Formats: sequence, C-alpha cells, structure tokens
Amino acid sequence: MTTKIIELGPHQLALEEPMYFRVRLEGDRVADLDVMPGQVHRGMEHLVMRRNLYQNITLLERLCSLCSNSHPSTFCTAVEEVAGIVIPPRAEYLRAVADEIKRIASHLFCCAVQANAIGEIPLFRRVMEIREIMQRAKEAIYGNRMDLAANVIGGVRYDLTPEAVAYLYQAMEDMKKPLDELYLQFANNPALMARMAWVGVLPREAAVECAVVGPVARACGIDYDVRKKSPYGAYDRLDFEVATQTAGDVRARNLVRLAEARQSVSLIEQCLAQLPAGPLCADTLPEIPAGEAIAKSEAPRGELMYYLRTDGSDFPVRLKWRVPSYMNWDALKVMLKGEPVANIPLIVNSIDPCIACTDR
Amino acid sequence: MHMQVEETAVEPVRLFRINTGSCNGCDVELAVTSAVTEFDVEQLGCRYTESAREADVVLITGPLTVRARDEVLRLYAATPRDKVTVAIGVCPVSGGVFRDSYAVDGPLERHLPVDVNVPGCPPRPQALLAGISEALAIREARRAGVEPSRKPKQGKRPNADNFPARGRLSFDAGACVDCRMCRHVCAAGAIRFQEGEDGVRLTLWHNSCVFCGLCCHYCPTGALSVTGDWRLDHPASDTFRQVERGEIPYAPCSGCGESIVPAAPQLLHAAFRRPNPEIEKLATLCPACRQVMSIGAPRR
Ligand code: SF4
Ligand code: SF4
Repeated sequence: MTTKIIELGPHQLALEEPMYFRVRLEGDRVADLDVMPGQVHRGMEHLVMRRNLYQNITLLERLCSLCSNSHPSTFCTAVEEVAGIVIPPRAEYLRAVADEIKRIASHLFCCAVQANAIGEIPLFRRVMEIREIMQRAKEAIYGNRMDLAANVIGGVRYDLTPEAVAYLYQAMEDMKKPLDELYLQFANNPALMARMAWVGVLPREAAVECAVVGPVARACGIDYDVRKKSPYGAYDRLDFEVATQTAGDVRARNLVRLAEARQSVSLIEQCLAQLPAGPLCADTLPEIPAGEAIAKSEAPRGELMYYLRTDGSDFPVRLKWRVPSYMNWDALKVMLKGEPVANIPLIVNSIDPCIACTDR
Repeated sequence: MHMQVEETAVEPVRLFRINTGSCNGCDVELAVTSAVTEFDVEQLGCRYTESAREADVVLITGPLTVRARDEVLRLYAATPRDKVTVAIGVCPVSGGVFRDSYAVDGPLERHLPVDVNVPGCPPRPQALLAGISEALAIREARRAGVEPSRKPKQGKRPNADNFPARGRLSFDAGACVDCRMCRHVCAAGAIRFQEGEDGVRLTLWHNSCVFCGLCCHYCPTGALSVTGDWRLDHPASDTFRQVERGEIPYAPCSGCGESIVPAAPQLLHAAFRRPNPEIEKLATLCPACRQVMSIGAPRR
C-alpha cells in the first residue's frame, strides 16, 4: 500500500475559518493526522490583561461569534464570584434565554455546514432558512445577529418587554415543527444515513480518554452537561433531559444537536413563563476585590471554563480558558482513522470545530 | 430573479472570501448570503467561488493575524489584477477589539489596497449586500474608465423590524459631563477625548467601534446612544471621515471663574431626581468651589 502525505486547507475542509491539516494516507484511507492551528491566534490572553474588566465583556464576546454569549456570561459569572455579587433572578433567566437562543443557532449552523459538505445543498439551504428565525429574533431583541451584548457584571443589560416576550413565544412556536422534521430527516433519511451513520466513529472509551465534552461526548453516551451536573443561573429551576446517543458517529452527534435545539426551545418557553419581575442588574459599578474564581457553563460546543484572578484593580491579573473545542481536535484523529479522504470534510465539521476558540 | 438571469445571460460576478483570523462572526454572516434566499448574493448577480484566480471581488474578514499574514498575501496575490477588495467588518480596517495585540498585524491597508469598507461587528446581511453593491459599482466604473459615482444611501428599509439593529453611535455634546466613562469601558478604543482651547472634544470612529453599546449603558447622562443606522459602507478613501464628533464647551466657574465643563442637566436629574435651584447652582461650580459651598472648605 502506498503512503502519501496531503495538506488540506479551509477550502478543502469546507471550513469558514482557516485551519490546516497534514494527513497521512495509506492507500486512500486516513492513517494519521497533524492539526496545524494558529491562524486565528489573536493573542487573547495578552489582550484580556490589557483591557479592564468592563472592556473585557465586549472583547470576550468576540473570542468566538458562534458561542459569543457563553464567553461574556461565564466571564461575568467569574467576576461576580470574586466580588460576591448575587445577580437578580430576572437576570439569571435572561442570561439563560440568551444562551439558549445562541445554542439553537449554533447547532443549526453546524448541521447546515455538514449538509453542505456532503453536497446536500437543498438541505443546507433549508437548515439555514430555519436558523434565520433565530437570527431575526436575535436582531429584534438584542440588535445584532451574532453578538448579543446581553451581559454586564452583576446581571444583564437587556430586558424583555411584554411585546418582546410575545414575539419570542411566537418564534419558538415557529421553530418546533421544522426542528422535529429535521430530527427525523437526520435520523432516517436514507441518503443522510448512507453518508453519516457509522462514519467518523468515536468509541466511548476513546471519548473518555480524549476528555471530549459537549455534543461530541454525549453522542458517545457520556451523560455530561454542565447545566445538569453543576447547574448555574436559572438552570436548577428549568426542566430538561440531557440528550444522549450511543453510536458515537456523525449521525449521533447531529441527533444530539437537533434534540438539544428542540430542548432549548422548551427551555426558552419555560424561562418566559417563569420570568420573575425585578431588577436586571445588581449594582452598576461594583467594587471588584482581589481574588480568584472559576466559572463554568455549557456552551454550544460543551463545557466552557473560565479562570480569573484579580488584584483589586480594574484589570485582570490572569484570565484563562478551557474551551470545549480544544479536546475535540484530538478526538478527530480517532474519528478519521481508516476513513476515505472524501469523508474528511464531513467528519471535521461534525465536531463543530471552532477555530476562533481553539486558537484564541 | 430567474428571469433576469435568463434575459441578460451574463456571467455572474465571482466573490472570493479570505479569512485573516476573524472571530467567525463576519464569516458566518457571509455564509448566510450564500444560503438564505432573502440575502442571497445571487440577487446582485454574484456567486461565490473557491478559487482565488476567479475572484472579481475579494471579501476580507478578520484583523489579519501575524500567523495568517503570509497565507493571506499568497491568496491575495493569486487573485486577478482588476479585482475590487472589500473589508468586511471593522476588524480589517482598525483591528476592532483586537487592536494592539502582538498577534495582530493589521490594519489590512498596510499590506494591500482596499476599495470598500463595510463597518459592523458583524455587519448585518443587508449591510454586506450594500457593501458588495458598492464594490460592483466600482468594478463597473473602472471597466468603463470613469470615476465611480456614489449612489444615495437607502437608509433603513421600509419593512425593517420595529426593533432596530444596533448601528452607528450618536453623541449629544450638550448632555456630556466629560466623565470619560465611555472611553473607559470601550474595548475597541473607539472613543477619544481631546482638550482644546474652548472645550473638550469627543471623537468616536465608526471604523473601530464594534457597536456593542456598552458606552451608552455606562454613560450616566445618556449623551451617547446607539442609532438604528446600519448603512455605513463607504469607499476606503473615506475611512477616517467616518466619525461622530462633538465639543463640550468650557464655561467659567460661577465661583472663581476658572474654565470648567459644567454639569449637564441630565446629570443633575440622574443624581437628584428633582434638582432645586440650590442644587442647580452646583452645576456651574468647579470642584473646589463646590466643596466650599457644601462643606465650607475645599477638601485637601
Ligand atoms: S468585525 Fe466583529 S464579527 Fe467581524 S470578525 Fe471582527 S470581531 Fe468578529
Ligand atoms: S458601542 Fe461604544 S463602547 Fe462599544 S465599541 Fe462602540 S464606542 Fe466602544
């Protein structure tokens, strides 16, 4: 069998972001893989220390635009932890609403991109059209389709008027049928089955070894979701099941995502129904003492961790992340092993890769 | 739309994307313009290409990282000579929130010529289409050998939703008390204060601003506000004209006559709810005279 090394870039991998792979082929099958990251390295760790805590809210929202709300909300949680601030209940719910809206949009984008990667263009367009309902809702409520600007230290800086609540209820209603249909399509459609089932398999043991999180882990039967394991914000008052699958293949990952998107619809409805009255923010300009804290949340791609250390000044002394995408790259090596070259773009996109988060 | 294509039967204009290290916001929105009918670039007679050599219009996103630079320049060099280059989002123009990082090598203009800027973070698809249209007009004009003429701005579309998108920031100098909180919270360094002869001048650059609205949130008097005006695409030659300005005039302290920035009525209302004439006197006093008035002596 002949061994060949090929290099693949964003255009071959069907990625929106620049990432390069060096792939070793045995015959026409993948034997090994080198991930060559760094193109989106913007020096975030350096930048966050040169921006004060307020500036960091906006900066961190742009660490990655697909999970943009998870970053500032988790960062603010860490600051609040250091300062001993308890955010008002209404703010807890509003943070959850923002997070779940982003989750639906992010999961649908991931499914759409995969449809595109296998040449299912009508499906790609259909998923993107469904996602538009969420995009429109984001712009209507937050004023931007990607970066919501919802969080501040001590709470949130947006409110839901009764009209906005009614509007969101309607948007959620509009999502239900299309999401149910999509789930069935990704589960049973023969053409999709042929491309996605038993493809890019990550066995459960390998998943544990690679320490993957989020939908990639849950698709291997690992029942780990921060919203359930260590509930934060409003999640201890919301009712939902952790979506899992056992096959660990591309199909299973998408079924987890689509089940979660559907569940997010229900979570948002619960938030709207339970939305307590009261203030949006604890205190506009709180004192932030010296201290350190860890905050975590379930971002669309999985567990997101923030470590923050402060010294009583306005600037963080240290801010570090553990982003969910990071571990997924390792798992790719397992998923791709023995797969034909033609499956590479699909499998790569099935981990919902976020290069902006990985490279920072 | 179909009809038009059949009638004219012209080759579509080909768009080529280069991501120079973006947060992916702009790129995901560009993906929308290839997938969602309402925003499809097809309506402008365009189509995306994966080949640099085919590019008629190059769309560039991201702040240009040090790591991506060589690859970006290599791709750009492979594009035809007569393409039109569009900077998408504020990142390529100023670095946006990523400016001043060791890992960022922008602005893009230092490395290659840009024709059109489309501010936004990210720009909404309507703004992307407006920017691409502007690039098409430049392309046409160049081919005809004339100066591109600027089409009048459309402003907000009639069927825009009742909740406005976050657009250009507006500044009301009359309400500003020179506390500079806005500059303090601005991650993009978009706001500058300059002390002049007759007053303090605030300048806000729309090519750096990421339209987050945090300055408005923390402004105690509401001097800064987000407007719904998202039509900000402009020729790159106008890059530095995209500013909001205002001068807060000095006035003499009514106690000692020293030049001060008087407190705006908005601040008194924020602080006292219902200011009485006694309180209003405070507005025109310098800090030292204010202390004399309230505690009998300046605090040391
Ligand atoms: S302009 Fe904003 S949305 Fe676009 S890449 Fe830069 S930070 Fe991201
Ligand atoms: S909206 Fe205000 S705080 Fe945000 S980037 Fe623009 S000027 Fe800065």
